[in-house]
Amino acid sequence: MSVSLGGSAAIVGIGQTEFSKAAGRSETQLAGEAIVAALSDAGLTTDDVDGFVSYTIDPVEETELVRALGTPEVRWSSRVPYGGGGSQGVLLHAAAAVAGGAARVVVAYRAIKARSGSRFGRAQVSPRPTSAHSGSTASQWCSPFGVLTPASWMALNATRYMHTYGVTSADFGRAVVQLRDYAATNPNAHFYGTRITLDDHQSSRWIAEPAIRLFDCCQETDGAVALVVTTADRARDTPAPVIVAAAATAGLFEEEIASNHYRPNLEVMEGSVALAAQLFGSGIARSDIDVAMIYDAFSPILLMQLEALGFCGFGEAKDFIADGNLAPGGGLPCNTNGGLIGEGYIHGLNLTVEAVRQLRGVAVNQLDDPSTALVTASRTGVILQRPL
Amino acid sequence: MCPECHSVEHEVVELAGTGTVYSYAILHHPQHPAFSYPVVAVLVDLDEGIRVVSNLVGVEPPEVRIGAPVRVMFQATADGLTVPVFEPAGPT
Ligand SMILES: [Zn+2]
Repeated sequence: MSVSLGGSAAIVGIGQTEFSKAAGRSETQLAGEAIVAALSDAGLTTDDVDGFVSYTIDPVEETELVRALGTPEVRWSSRVPYGGGGSQGVLLHAAAAVAGGAARVVVAYRAIKARSGSRFGRAQVSPRPTSAHSGSTASQWCSPFGVLTPASWMALNATRYMHTYGVTSADFGRAVVQLRDYAATNPNAHFYGTRITLDDHQSSRWIAEPAIRLFDCCQETDGAVALVVTTADRARDTPAPVIVAAAATAGLFEEEIASNHYRPNLEVMEGSVALAAQLFGSGIARSDIDVAMIYDAFSPILLMQLEALGFCGFGEAKDFIADGNLAPGGGLPCNTNGGLIGEGYIHGLNLTVEAVRQLRGVAVNQLDDPSTALVTASRTGVILQRPL
Repeated sequence: MCPECHSVEHEVVELAGTGTVYSYAILHHPQHPAFSYPVVAVLVDLDEGIRVVSNLVGVEPPEVRIGAPVRVMFQATADGLTVPVFEPAGPT
């Protein structure tokens, strides 16, 4: 079933904290700061907010947020599973809530201390912060064998992908070089000012051979981002709205986050195939997409999603990237903030903020007049458009 | 619950313990003190059609190959327990 919101909802405000390796304050404070910034950006106040949505894995309690922000009345709240792969689901929830009238102004947020707090990449055998209600129950079958981190889970899929389609570490490296090029000119990025060559990538140490080197990994980051969603009607009174043209989630049977290895064909991200069927069944074509933000927790899944979303054939993402399609002026400029690999890892929601900036014309690596942006994270995604 | 028929019955069935490597990853970092590195993680497709996450032992990391036949063995782990790991089974 296609999920077209008919342009009935809009993102009207974006906000964030600084991205760092040690925020020095609680996730609740980080969320509050990002939300206040996003509301200010929208020309709204905390009195206007009546809904909240975040990830199931987010540590910030809605009740604490309300106490901090002084929000008078919450009419609606929700959480989305699947960790970062569910990140764009918060936009579907928020847009559906305002379009359906359950709330008038919803704040979608993610606050994280992924470096100074609970690091995803630390080897640990105790229950992970992702272990409850976030789509990682299959990780219990990984831990006894030392498969302890998202990189190790993902590498088991990515090695199969490489084997099936003849993809090499250097093919992943060419994507990373492009992301680091974007990050190098983004003052908000962890890798601001530090480009790399393909040789640098190829000499970075193995994390999970033969798929994932150090430079293939996203940056564990502290920070928060927030987006303010309301109806398209109310958005007309705000300074810089972006329309949610379509939003979708495709949580398939036998899929969770990367810790599940039991689907028959791990070389294909089938959740992204199903997601694309929804997003591009709503009157918007792939050729309409001017800029894309694609969840790059690890570089292999950038290639795998490009294929699953139908921007190139299966096994062809390596050539699509080598041809320069992800660069400014390419066929599909991608992750123009440097992505999660280059800018930082606010669990995927910083990609949505970058898409809004591109459509507003205020991104640091601003493209030439984009009007339609795609943001996807594995099985969740949105298509955003500049108002006519 | 069985997702096909919603039965809640179950029984224990002995498997042959043989299969093939579906995928693998040689894990270098980060390191946990309970394991010796590099860890060779494998996905094994058992001959009965079940896929399991495990380790491949008795093989140098460069020799790990997708499609290689493997056979189960049981290795001691913490607290007097054992885990099923796999070793090369030779050509079939
Ligand atoms: Zn059954």
